[in-house]
Amino acid sequence: MDNQGLVNLSLLDLLAAYGLVIVAVVLARLKRIGQEGQMLWASLRMVFQLLAVGYLLHFIFAVKSPLPVLAILLLMGVFSLQVIGGRIKTKVPRFYRVVGVSLLIGCGSVTFLFCTLVVHYSPWYDPRYLIPLAGMIIGNSMNGASLAAERLGAEMRERREEIETALCLGASARQSSKPALRNAFKAAIMPTVNTMAAMGIVSLPGMMTGQILSGTEPMVAVRYQVAIMCAITGAVAITAYLIVLQGYRRYFTRAHQLDFEQGDS
Amino acid sequence: MDSFPVCSIQLTNVSYFGRRSDGGRVRLLDSVSFCAKPGQITAIIGPSGGGKSTLIRLINRLTEPGEGRIELDGKDIATLDPLELRRLVALVPQKPFMFDGTVLDNLQMPFKYRQTTPPEAGSADVLDVLSSAKLDPGLLERNARSLSLGQQQRVGVARALITKPQVILLDEPTSALDRRTSDELASTLREISHGKSITMIMVTHDLRLTQKVADYCFYLEAGRILEEGRAAELLAHPNTAALRAFLSEPLDQEG
Repeated sequence: MDNQGLVNLSLLDLLAAYGLVIVAVVLARLKRIGQEGQMLWASLRMVFQLLAVGYLLHFIFAVKSPLPVLAILLLMGVFSLQVIGGRIKTKVPRFYRVVGVSLLIGCGSVTFLFCTLVVHYSPWYDPRYLIPLAGMIIGNSMNGASLAAERLGAEMRERREEIETALCLGASARQSSKPALRNAFKAAIMPTVNTMAAMGIVSLPGMMTGQILSGTEPMVAVRYQVAIMCAITGAVAITAYLIVLQGYRRYFTRAHQLDFEQGDS
Repeated sequence: MDSFPVCSIQLTNVSYFGRRSDGGRVRLLDSVSFCAKPGQITAIIGPSGGGKSTLIRLINRLTEPGEGRIELDGKDIATLDPLELRRLVALVPQKPFMFDGTVLDNLQMPFKYRQTTPPEAGSADVLDVLSSAKLDPGLLERNARSLSLGQQQRVGVARALITKPQVILLDEPTSALDRRTSDELASTLREISHGKSITMIMVTHDLRLTQKVADYCFYLEAGRILEEGRAAELLAHPNTAALRAFLSEPLDQEG
């Protein structure tokens, strides 16, 4: 490989870095600040988890056929769905179906378009590209999805009076819940929009920093970062939109009646 | 029975089942039948928790009955498009929600939902409902949420009237109002019902209001209609012990 800018870290270098954690732990101990146990435990967890992922990726990157790669992506998606499910207390009716389908379409379509139209590498399923890119897209969409689903559920409940008043005045289910849909969508995409707006000034994005550290020209890294941010925004927006659009219907019967009991699990 | 031959709204053996927390069903309305006539105010009175609000929500299909038939001018409402139905049968909720914006914005909402051009501030339609609901035209540009509860209640009535419905359903129209405001609203309702020959059905536990405005009256307790009759007669000469008990506790206030 031609990454002449890359400085490889030896095991000794890593030990030196770990020394910094030890210093922090010793300091915390001596000054009786506490938290040293947590710091030590967390740092050990990090080491083992990352080692495990490193080995896993090592094997995955060697995969030469599309199906296992797609299976891994699906697993990532299922896992993120699980995370969202755990995070949200009052769920939209048929939560897993609504959020699952939205994530699949939102992340799937964006990842596919991104890999075919923007980043041209072959084969298209090359896990070295596909997995980290899809990972970023899924991770961000997961946050957006959880915000959209949570906000939608809360908005429908908080706006019950408003929604029923609108229905009484002849509004359709869609018209009556428009303010709720709008707020839920906004809540879902705000973090991504804010991140984009602050990018480069408040923070240097992790992917770009990583690429630069590993020897990539800053201008190349910037282009990648712009491209991936656009993809993330697209995926978050599509996922959130689909959740909101499918989700609100679950609160209504066909006769435009608000019904919280309809399988509100 | 009466000088009006036709029922505008007719319920036949309507039952409604609620869901208990353990998943079982409870009968909240039990074979309710009644007829409400155009140009009259029909009051449904009774204690809290007797199913009054549910009953009124069935008539514009905010909720679906478990059993029975509800007719608007002889047509089963289950066969009508619910959006169409709600344009003919307007419900004014207990505490009408004021949409963000001015009183005029609120009056225009029903037209926005129907995707038709809303009437302007000075138009005959707007002025007509304002005078029917006894609202000062100067209030049109005021923020609706800054109005008093009594005024908001009137905006609720005006907003329901502006699309010229055949039937107006009122859920506890005076529950948030003081005595004077409530009396004013009562005379407003009376004028609207008689002047526009609109069918009005109100559920209330406010006996004063019932005495002042109702033509016909039903007594609903625990989901069943126990008595009915011309309002003045029924309130003066109750037949059942239940209604007598209800009438003797006029200070029962609902939330």
